[in-house]
Amino acid sequence: MLPWLIKRILMLVPVFLAVSVVIFSILHFIPGDPIDNLLKIGSSPEARAEMEARYGLDRSLPVQYGIWLSNVLQGDLGTAIVARRPVADLIAQALPHSLRLGGLALLFSTVVGVTLGVVAALSRDRWSDRAIMGGVLVGSTMPSFWLGLILILVFSVSLGWFPVSGARGWQSLVLPVLTIGLGGTALVARITRVSMIEASGRDFVTLLHAKGLSPLRIQLRHVLRHALIPVVTILALRIGWILGGAVTVEVVFARPGLGTLLIKSLAQHDYPVVQACLLMLAMAVMLGTLMGDILQALMDPRVRAAMT
Amino acid sequence: MTRLFRKTLLSASVSLAALIAAQAATAQEAVFVMATNEVGAPTYNPIKATMLNTATGLIFDRLVSQAADLSYHPWLAESWEEAPDGMAWTFKLKQGVTFHNGEPFNAETVKGWLELFKTTEGENGYMAEAIASVEVVDEHTVKFVMARPEPNLLYNLSSTFMGVVEPKSFAALGDNYGVTEVYGTGPFKLESFAIGQETVLVRNEGYTWGPEVAANHGPAKVERLTFREIPEDSTAFLELKTGGVDFLLSVPADLMGEVQKEANLAVLTMPGQDVWYMPINVTKAPFDDIRVREAAAKAINQEEILASVFGGVGAVADTFLISALPESHVPDGAKIKFDPAHSNALLDEAGWAMGEGGVRMKDGQPLKVTLWTQSDSIFRRLTEVVQAQLKAVGIEAEITTFDSSMIRDQYKTGEQHLAVRSYNWDNADIVDWFFGGDRLGYPNVSMFNDPKAEELRAAAMTGAKNMDERIANFTAYHEYVLTQFPMAPIYQPVQAMAYSTDRIALPEKIDAPAFGAAAFLDLEVKE
Repeated sequence: MLPWLIKRILMLVPVFLAVSVVIFSILHFIPGDPIDNLLKIGSSPEARAEMEARYGLDRSLPVQYGIWLSNVLQGDLGTAIVARRPVADLIAQALPHSLRLGGLALLFSTVVGVTLGVVAALSRDRWSDRAIMGGVLVGSTMPSFWLGLILILVFSVSLGWFPVSGARGWQSLVLPVLTIGLGGTALVARITRVSMIEASGRDFVTLLHAKGLSPLRIQLRHVLRHALIPVVTILALRIGWILGGAVTVEVVFARPGLGTLLIKSLAQHDYPVVQACLLMLAMAVMLGTLMGDILQALMDPRVRAAMT
Repeated sequence: MTRLFRKTLLSASVSLAALIAAQAATAQEAVFVMATNEVGAPTYNPIKATMLNTATGLIFDRLVSQAADLSYHPWLAESWEEAPDGMAWTFKLKQGVTFHNGEPFNAETVKGWLELFKTTEGENGYMAEAIASVEVVDEHTVKFVMARPEPNLLYNLSSTFMGVVEPKSFAALGDNYGVTEVYGTGPFKLESFAIGQETVLVRNEGYTWGPEVAANHGPAKVERLTFREIPEDSTAFLELKTGGVDFLLSVPADLMGEVQKEANLAVLTMPGQDVWYMPINVTKAPFDDIRVREAAAKAINQEEILASVFGGVGAVADTFLISALPESHVPDGAKIKFDPAHSNALLDEAGWAMGEGGVRMKDGQPLKVTLWTQSDSIFRRLTEVVQAQLKAVGIEAEITTFDSSMIRDQYKTGEQHLAVRSYNWDNADIVDWFFGGDRLGYPNVSMFNDPKAEELRAAAMTGAKNMDERIANFTAYHEYVLTQFPMAPIYQPVQAMAYSTDRIALPEKIDAPAFGAAAFLDLEVKE
């Protein structure tokens, strides 16, 4: 398994390089100039030229990319052009908020999604199955921006249970976690249900029934274990998605985090910050995928055998 | 079972609401939401920052304050005198003033502070560039020796970017100044700052030197101020509605009606510093013909726009400057006002005859032009009305919408005929910024480069020895630009704010151009 793991990690290198080129290029090809945000009324054209030189924006794009990549590989994410602070500081301030929100949302969607999926699979084709899957379908199709506002109107404005926005205390986390988590719950519930139904028809389940084990024990101890393999893979893939998906939710709920930082920096064309945020999100997706592969290998002996 | 469940749910919600209410602002604390255009200010360092917010003006006092009519009044400077040739200014400083870290405020600190503009890397050096050197006359008298006359000096000194910084801590803290710690002489001290999230200020208990324009010279009546940064307007409004915050420092026009529907909320309006206008690209046919420019400019019905787009809140604009500025007072004939009959006559005279479908034609070509705007909903709505008004005189305008953050770069191509945009500035030098011949594309979206205008511009920018001369020169420059129709003025908004009447008691009169230190000193929180 070790050679496979090393090979799998090495495969991330070209992916990382390709992602870094895309992130760098997209930002420089879209119209917009960070210097416009720095120049105040009254500034001269000479002041603009001086500022472009100071931030290295007067150099060719390949040179700018080379410098940026070399610095990133040495752990230097640069200095924010508009915020005038080390980008690493800004990321370090924002990332814990995003991880807390994303982590709780992932936990919520896992626990609730798996539970609903199991209940739906156990009551297949009955009203409870249809109700759960119907609810799940509605949950998965609601845009998070809209869902966030609806939750604010119901739980903050009408009921007064939770604050409308901000990042003070656990109360302020409830609605954002629900907003992100509900979409993931739908996905996890559907996959759990389908996997359990599919696993229930396997030969080993027939064998377990023949051995006289109780149906509930078979479902929860054996079928569920089998069915969780694709669920775990999907959850690992969602790590990056959840961090990226929190962008709109952070704005609606006025929470600090990578999403808020990204949106603000995009509007200001603060290239170093936007590049760093996108790189963090891309790396989260890459690491999530790697983690999904590793977990799948650990849980499924057939995958493990194929690697060796 | 159901009843029990309901009862449990009800008691849980009551307990939760009580818990949250207990955490909300106390009587001596008020929670403000920053204006949306101030969200994300990364530092409280006035020497280096390119963006500062309302809280900055509470941490730092200035030498000079400005009243609502934009006249200048004492603050940290008790009085001042300008030399007849404009080459020196002498300021008498207030005594007994101290910085938040206990350092005294005197002539030496003023000298040290102004030197920071020359020695610190940043873009704000131009604020003090006309000051060649600073002489300490005595402990409370300071003399600025000028490199050139600068009639705009009092304006600069009243700006937040010239909030008086304590020089020793500035040097000691380095890049952390304005982020982790900051020391001014203002009515509030910085307690905590999380960029893009929240700033907490506490009252400066020893403060007694408030600006002349405030009724209360200190200390402030409120002990603690929290400024939250909420980028989404609808979220900020819901926070105000539910009592999560007490005051919104900006309310967009489309939420004003919602605020007014609530019995315990009120709207506060102050004169605005914005002008909305339609730049006309003078290099692009048919607008290279001044008659067509004038026709398009006079086709804009400002009164109708004020009523239909902005619900009657604000005022029409008929010059390029906000009406509070003396330089906006040009002769009536130079003002650009709705006159469709004159527009039609001018287009006829220029050879554009009314064709079928209400679009004018000349040499077989229809009078079709491009009209650019930005993606914000209010801009799109206004641009559609402008389009209809142009159509009424036979000009067909095709709207193109750009993302707000990208439109400046689009202007640099100079491909548009017309656009709808706005600016925020309270000094006449904005005419130089948007119509200076060396800034074509952006900011000179009109591509206006006129020899006579350049002469008048030079006189306005650097030819005046004192404020009266500057006003006269800028008025002449402004008047000439208006007569060349490189734009059509449309609308002057007000600064609209909203607050909870259950929590906030405002002073009867706020004699300041913006909701700043004077207003915060007089503001009270209801017990």
